[in-house]
Amino acid sequence: MLKITNLHARIQDNEILRGLSLEVGTGEVHAIMGPNGSGKSTLASILAGRDDYEITAGSIEFNGVDLLELDATERAIAGIFLAFQYPVEIPGVSNMNFLRTALSSIREQRGLEPLSAKDFLEKVKSCAKLVELDGKLRNRSVNEGFSGGEKKRNEIFQMAMLEPMLGVLDETDSGLDIDALRIVSAGVNAMRTPDRSFLVITHYQRLLDHIVPDRVHVLAEGQIVRSGGKELALELEEKGYDWIKTEA
Amino acid sequence: MLATKEAKEQKISAWGEAATGRENLDLGGLKLPTTRDERWRYTRVASILTRSMRPAPEAGPAPSERPLPNLDAWRLVFVDGHYIEHLSSGSTVDGSYVGTWSESTRTYPELLESWGRGGFARKEWFAALQAEGSQDGAAIHVPKGVDLRAKTILIEHHLSGPGIVAHPRNIIHLEAGAKANVMLWSSSDESADGLLNLALDARVEDHAELKLEYIQDEAGRNAHISHLHITQASNSRLEVHTATARAHWLRNDLHIEQIGTDANAIFNGCFAPGDGQFTDHHTRIDHTVPDGTSAELYKGLAFKGGKAVFNGKIKVHQDAQRIEAFQKNSNILLERGATVYAKPELEIYADDVRCSHGCTTGQFDEEAVFYLRSRGMTEGAARRLLTQAFLAEALSGLCDEAREHVEAALLQRIHA
Repeated sequence: MLKITNLHARIQDNEILRGLSLEVGTGEVHAIMGPNGSGKSTLASILAGRDDYEITAGSIEFNGVDLLELDATERAIAGIFLAFQYPVEIPGVSNMNFLRTALSSIREQRGLEPLSAKDFLEKVKSCAKLVELDGKLRNRSVNEGFSGGEKKRNEIFQMAMLEPMLGVLDETDSGLDIDALRIVSAGVNAMRTPDRSFLVITHYQRLLDHIVPDRVHVLAEGQIVRSGGKELALELEEKGYDWIKTEA
Repeated sequence: MLATKEAKEQKISAWGEAATGRENLDLGGLKLPTTRDERWRYTRVASILTRSMRPAPEAGPAPSERPLPNLDAWRLVFVDGHYIEHLSSGSTVDGSYVGTWSESTRTYPELLESWGRGGFARKEWFAALQAEGSQDGAAIHVPKGVDLRAKTILIEHHLSGPGIVAHPRNIIHLEAGAKANVMLWSSSDESADGLLNLALDARVEDHAELKLEYIQDEAGRNAHISHLHITQASNSRLEVHTATARAHWLRNDLHIEQIGTDANAIFNGCFAPGDGQFTDHHTRIDHTVPDGTSAELYKGLAFKGGKAVFNGKIKVHQDAQRIEAFQKNSNILLERGATVYAKPELEIYADDVRCSHGCTTGQFDEEAVFYLRSRGMTEGAARRLLTQAFLAEALSGLCDEAREHVEAALLQRIHA
């Protein structure tokens, strides 16, 4: 589904990704771990199409399409969803109005019929239930006045509504307490299907107890320095990132 | 030099005579404002005087469609300062009078006796010109305790073509406990290039409630200057919602005076000048007595080469204790080259008051644009939604029909 080859990217004069390669197959869940500043969030931003980065070398293929040729909107329509590390507050735009506009834009451009008002509301209900998102929050302005946990639940709720092929979770566990972590993870797990993939970016092994990955990669200084099964996460938790650094 | 100055003044007074159709104008010694006058610092009026314009001897064609066809309203239609009877429908329900200034001077002279020149006419050249050249407009009188809010009173002023100046005068009098919803609507034909010089004076007596919506939706290149002066007696409630949906060059002065205790005023506005357009909203509220409240919110968005002015003055007079007065003004500059001059003015002479103002000017949050795009919205749709969200608060006091119309007109202009 996703094939990243020798990706180099920088922001202004600062080279952040230095030859990153990664392949995620259909239906797989991959975790990316790594120390602060290793380029994890940069990778997430680049996948979603943020303009701030300059790609100096390499390629990203998504279902056979050159992803770097698509803008942020087109990537969402192609089936990429980024759950933000810091979801943005948008005063004056109700969560519902926002989702309705987003969903109808995506459905229209994917060549699907628009949802009826009734079907839309039913979908909202069932998706909100996944992450136990309160009805009151659904009607408030997007993320405005939401707690950290509510914002992250709202991200997963949006992901469920928009039904991407690839969900990129950028440190979705940061700022979550144990209960919220459990709820968010259950929401993600409920969305796991044989044709949907996930890239889970995290600092801590804790999240991977709940969302069990097929593969774990360690990102350091802009490259994948080690890949393995889920047990790699445990090893990292035990030995710390310095272990990888010294080995590399 | 002296000769030049005199020649200049002669030129101005000749223009004024032509623009009112009256000789020997009495403008009370007032001078044409220049950018050296603080209240006109960013507002150049000279270009208005370079155009030759006259009052129309009779009304030109009325607009082909009525505004807000779904709004249930008593309509008073004026074109080029003349009443258009066949399009209008006044009311005399429950002893009230919803009609015209010209008719009421004949039929109800006692209602008009106490109305002298409006407050602005003693201070401002254009308002004095308006008073001298006064033409027909709405006269609304609601007797004690009568609630007229079953329908909106829609006052329409239209300029029909080039070279025309109109000076409509409007009055509203709500007696004690009376209630009314009034909508003032200005429009112009695409060919209009003159001036709409409009005055509205309103008195809201004890416990009365006035909601005034003022929509400017003008297609022409005409100038628009309006002078709104409203006094509030004790325990009265006032709402003024001003929306400049479309205007080429506009100056709107709104002055609210609370002369009775425990009065409450809410006044909001929005504006969005684009290339070559100019809007100037000057508001002033005087809390002259204790225990009044006011809340003001103006939102502006300037795009391309658009230029806007917002000036909001709050004056709390000596001994007007326990006043609560709040003002907020937020502006967005969509592009380089767009300009907003924003100036809050608080003058407080009482010591036990709660007053605040907040004024911000900025740009759209690009992170929000990216967030919306990452959810599948096109960049255009994302920016439209953010514009809508930004303006929503300032439009929320309009009735549904007006809000939808204004929002659609603004979005169409801003994101065409």
